Amino acid sequence: MAAVGSALLKHLRLRVQVQAVPRNPSYALSFSAIRRRFFSEDVRGSFLDKSEVADRVISVVKNFQKVTPNANFQSDLGLDSLDTVEIVMALEEEFGFEIPDNEADKINSINLAVDFIASHPQAK
Amino acid sequence: MSVASTAAYAARRAAQKERVRILYRRALKDTLNWAVHRHLFYQDASDLRERFDGNKHVEDLDTIDKMIADGEASYNKWRHPDPYIVPWAPGGSKFTRNPTPPSGIEIVYNYGREDND
Repeated sequence: MAAVGSALLKHLRLRVQVQAVPRNPSYALSFSAIRRRFFSEDVRGSFLDKSEVADRVISVVKNFQKVTPNANFQSDLGLDSLDTVEIVMALEEEFGFEIPDNEADKINSINLAVDFIASHPQAK
Repeated sequence: MSVASTAAYAARRAAQKERVRILYRRALKDTLNWAVHRHLFYQDASDLRERFDGNKHVEDLDTIDKMIADGEASYNKWRHPDPYIVPWAPGGSKFTRNPTPPSGIEIVYNYGREDND
């Protein structure tokens, strides 16, 4: 059993390719060899563009939640009531607003928030 | 809880939830008043949220009432003496500064031409 296992592993194991490293006694050639190694495709191509990464991350986050204009904070987006309070506060700060406490309690969905802000004459 | 008092229980719980929401809102605004720099505010706001979340699972009505009363007492103790209020809101600096004039008044633009007509 063990022999079969080891034979299988030996069959599956990747063949390691041995590449001859150029060894040269002169200083200039070894420096260019090092330079070639560090600027090869394998080393340089592993980093992505930062803007591309940002775009893709944003699209992933946007597609994750069901953020539609009709979304209720608690039932659709899965937020807590304290999270709703935080969202209302962030909206207040964003639009330069002041919402009285009893009305802030009733804002439960994006629709209500949009209506409230649009109907207030002093929202910046 | 007996079935007959479920409606009253639900009503009391709803009232308590509303009190908690208003208390959290005021406490968050107060935190913003005290900790103006954003990184400090984020730290304090998450601490406040932890304190509220730690008591989330309490079911007993009287305990909840007592905790809400304690929270409101500590909020009153920590209130900022000079909170930031949006200028045109009541209590702000621009409130009723330039009220809209009564409807029948209008400006007649004939400066310098009053004697010539």
